[in-house]
Amino acid sequence: MPTIRLFHEDIERLTGVDIDTVREKLPFLGADLERDGEDFTDVEFFPNRPDLFSVEGVARALRAFLNIQPGISSYETSPSGIEMNVDDAVIDVRPYVVCGVVRDLEFDERAIESLMNLQEHIHRGIGRNRRKVSIGVHDLSKVKPDFRYTAVDPDFSFVPLDFKEKMTMKDILERHPKGIEYGFILKDADRYPLIVDYDGNVLSFPPIINAELTRVTEETRDLFIEVTGTDENVFVALNIVVCALAERGGRVQTVKVRSPQDGAVIETPDLNPSTHELRLSEVRALTGLDIDAETSVKCCARMGLHADVVRGDGSEGDDVLIVKVPAYRCDILHPWDIIEDIAIGYGYDRIVPTLPKTDVVGEEHAEERRNRRIREMMIGLGFMEVQTFTLSSERKQFTLMRRRSCEVVRVAHPISEEYEMLRCAIMPNLIDVLSMNKHREMPQRIFEIGTVFRGEERTNLAAVSMHAHANFAEIRSVVDAILREFGIADITVIKPSDDDAFIKGRRAIIMLNDREIGVFGEIHPEVIRNFSLDHPIIGVEMDVDAINARPPSQRRRCLC
Amino acid sequence: MSVRESELSARERIVLNVFAAADEALTTDEIARRTGLKEDAVSQAAFMLAEKGIVAVKERESRFYRLTEEGREYAERGLPERRAIEVLMREGTCSFEHLRDHMGSEREALIAVNWLLKRGWARTKKECGKSVFVFAGVSEDSMSEVETEERILRLLLERGGFVEEEALPCRKELLKTLKARKLVEEKVRKERFFSLAPGFKPEFKDEKAAIGFGLDVVMEHEVAQMTPEMIRTGSWKEVKFKEYDVSIPSEKIYPAKIHPYQRLVDEMRRIFAEMGFKEIKGAIIQHSFWNFDALFVPQDHPAREMQDTFYLGVRKPLDAPAELVRRVKEVHEHGGSLRSSGWGGRWREEIAEELLLRTHTTAVTLRYLASHKEPPVRVFCIGRVYRRETVDPTHLPEFDQLEGIVMDENVSFRHLLGILQTFYRKMGFPQVRFRPGYFPYTEPSVEVEVMTEKHGWIELGGAGIFREEVTHPLGISHRVLAWGLGIGRLAMLKLKLHDIRQLYQPDIDWLRHAPSSPITGD
Repeated sequence: MPTIRLFHEDIERLTGVDIDTVREKLPFLGADLERDGEDFTDVEFFPNRPDLFSVEGVARALRAFLNIQPGISSYETSPSGIEMNVDDAVIDVRPYVVCGVVRDLEFDERAIESLMNLQEHIHRGIGRNRRKVSIGVHDLSKVKPDFRYTAVDPDFSFVPLDFKEKMTMKDILERHPKGIEYGFILKDADRYPLIVDYDGNVLSFPPIINAELTRVTEETRDLFIEVTGTDENVFVALNIVVCALAERGGRVQTVKVRSPQDGAVIETPDLNPSTHELRLSEVRALTGLDIDAETSVKCCARMGLHADVVRGDGSEGDDVLIVKVPAYRCDILHPWDIIEDIAIGYGYDRIVPTLPKTDVVGEEHAEERRNRRIREMMIGLGFMEVQTFTLSSERKQFTLMRRRSCEVVRVAHPISEEYEMLRCAIMPNLIDVLSMNKHREMPQRIFEIGTVFRGEERTNLAAVSMHAHANFAEIRSVVDAILREFGIADITVIKPSDDDAFIKGRRAIIMLNDREIGVFGEIHPEVIRNFSLDHPIIGVEMDVDAINARPPSQRRRCLC
Repeated sequence: MSVRESELSARERIVLNVFAAADEALTTDEIARRTGLKEDAVSQAAFMLAEKGIVAVKERESRFYRLTEEGREYAERGLPERRAIEVLMREGTCSFEHLRDHMGSEREALIAVNWLLKRGWARTKKECGKSVFVFAGVSEDSMSEVETEERILRLLLERGGFVEEEALPCRKELLKTLKARKLVEEKVRKERFFSLAPGFKPEFKDEKAAIGFGLDVVMEHEVAQMTPEMIRTGSWKEVKFKEYDVSIPSEKIYPAKIHPYQRLVDEMRRIFAEMGFKEIKGAIIQHSFWNFDALFVPQDHPAREMQDTFYLGVRKPLDAPAELVRRVKEVHEHGGSLRSSGWGGRWREEIAEELLLRTHTTAVTLRYLASHKEPPVRVFCIGRVYRRETVDPTHLPEFDQLEGIVMDENVSFRHLLGILQTFYRKMGFPQVRFRPGYFPYTEPSVEVEVMTEKHGWIELGGAGIFREEVTHPLGISHRVLAWGLGIGRLAMLKLKLHDIRQLYQPDIDWLRHAPSSPITGD
């Protein structure tokens, strides 16, 4: 989640309340307080609210939430007279562009940093790492309108930000840090997007890097902002940025963006609110609050929305709320999103929890009840329960165990070799636990009941015992006891096994209805050494689903 | 100081006789040799005498060290931090990945980095959004410390086996550090020397002075172990049972136990069953469709990227009705027939066909809903989920989640809060609070926090009401309250763990010592 740094001086000036109030109230607006510095507080906001990714946006929301300035914040716009002409050539590469101008700004180092951070958060969030949206801000005084958005040959060159010499765009993708980071977005393009001014001077190479020419400094007063991308999110991104700057005292002006095909013109930014309708009865039903229309209107105002009530003819529940949502909000997809805002405006801390009525009977899953009985039995036999990962490695599952590898479920991009596949047996994990505990007192007897993946997801029980006198007789006793407890001692057959994890002549399989359901024996000394251990180990592993078979309808089939 | 003969047991008398004849302090081993008694019997008698003030005890401890497996590796190859600082001194700056390639393993690189930062040899810096390590200078003192540590390791390697502390070239702190790093193991040998207490004057029958104190050692027949024979024949009436010092602890034994984490999970299971919920289970391997798309998670959502989710790299045709797939597609693209804008863009079935390890159990509850469309539905699911996280004290690539839903007529957000509050109160957290939250598939959304003594408010779960964009394509026409609670954090709080790895990479000693039924527990 994006972290926003709120300098106490800034937030106190922008809201008019002290930092302690800010810190107390922010969590109920959806912020997570992350860290306290001497003169700042870091907060995290959810990714659906990019309008809160700057101190200006946070201050605006807080002013409404604290009833200092409830309702919708509107910002005036006037035409700048500047045009952005879009070339046909760029439509296939990165079709969307919108622009705006903000004048009369006064920047200090911190304000510039806040703007840069806002941009980066938008790039990462709704911009999807600049794939969908990227923003360029420029010192308007360094260039000459009108502007042109085009696509050019990768060999075209200009001086990118933070460099002194010209570089070709191809070079930028290979050598400039931003080019290396975001070049993947253009990997299929044979021409690259470019924004130039009237004289052909470069402003930016979206979505990679701006030109050094238009660098924003503390002397900058007027900004030209362009947002390019692949879908309509460019509009709200532009709105968020210009409104944050307007909060800093800037004057917002519109730019005409002229499309290549038909010469159609749109004027951006468009800061008119959108309108949504919902019934009061819906608000009440979803939240469970006995809330009237007036209170709902106040709650909207506390969330920076504006609501009007249209009275229904019947009961109060028929009332309809007409809600205006400001142009910088991108999280309102559905009327319920507004109802959530009403609930937040009401205050989650004021909502009284209550239990729903029910006449349903609860129950634990039959499989879990069975597993609990098996655990009790194993504890009675003196085995301590452990739990291990189901992600494992070829090496641990097969190589160290002297077992041949078989068909397994692999993950496509493992974090490390240790977790590259799903286990098909539990015993290797148990021996691994022994090796992590080799200096602990003997005897060590442990077991696990858990999921393994062999064609389908199944439940296995495995147990091992390690001490100086561990031998086949002990494990045979354990297996016999388990089979007795399962009530299948008379119908199972024990036969020699050929599993190389065990010593020849001291290994056996358990057969039930002519099906192998388990294996046990004395672990082969080579396996013991492979796990860096030096005491005799005995073990058993069995498929408990095969014992009290689940009906096929309850099987969890493995999809692969 | 005086003592009456009758206050002494037979063994104490035997031992005391030996002291009378000896001029130097004796070890229990030596006394055992001289008396023919077993060493533990001697030791017990000697301690009883010491308690009575008749003999004095002096202890001497000697410490011995030997290499652990890991220590042996470093003895041969050098400590990770020293190998790493060489790379860093040479290159000035380097990334973790670079370091890891040099060190040969992620584990050693992590150890190295940890020590580099601890020693102040390196600091981290952000470079293009990535952390890199920058050389920060090496003081002579700290380097000589590391060199001494390595010298100790090498010396232990040469000698093999346990080496006494005196034979090692170093100060105690370094050995302590090496021990804490589990590079060496320590064995402490305690030796005790016994002698007559200074100022002790025997006031026994003086005529027996010829053989030491010459105390009478066969006063009565004292018996330690009762036998079946004695009980059958009644001979127990003739003997005196030796009286034991009941305050002395015996050998330690440990019961086998259910894993503490399992006990906690079972408790949660019981609570939800008590609250009228039925438990369900489902597959771990799922289609992206059930894990993400049916939940209205946009196809380009960051959580769906392969850095965060374990994909199998396999696509399989969807096991969902075509009608459902079509409705999901519509709702993503433009909101379908709902009052929703959808996410825009084009929804692609190929992406939904990718198989993955479920990132939450919501995939299971959704499938259940798809086949149980009529209210009331109250189910919960506890199961393993997977996220592509590197293993560290607070992150694991797999962990367990508790998830539940209620679908019914007239259920609301207030009811959702009621269920969550009741659950956490039953789990032993009387103070529960709710804060706004965000999930792509619920609206309103909420985060649940509980008050803890040690850490203040701690977030333990997320919840909300499924969006219409989720329920409508499934053909559900009632509201569905839903929550997903990470159990790991709760378990860390309840079991007082600092490292979540301990749940799945168990230390047998921890399992042996963690009380399974603490009286004061909750």
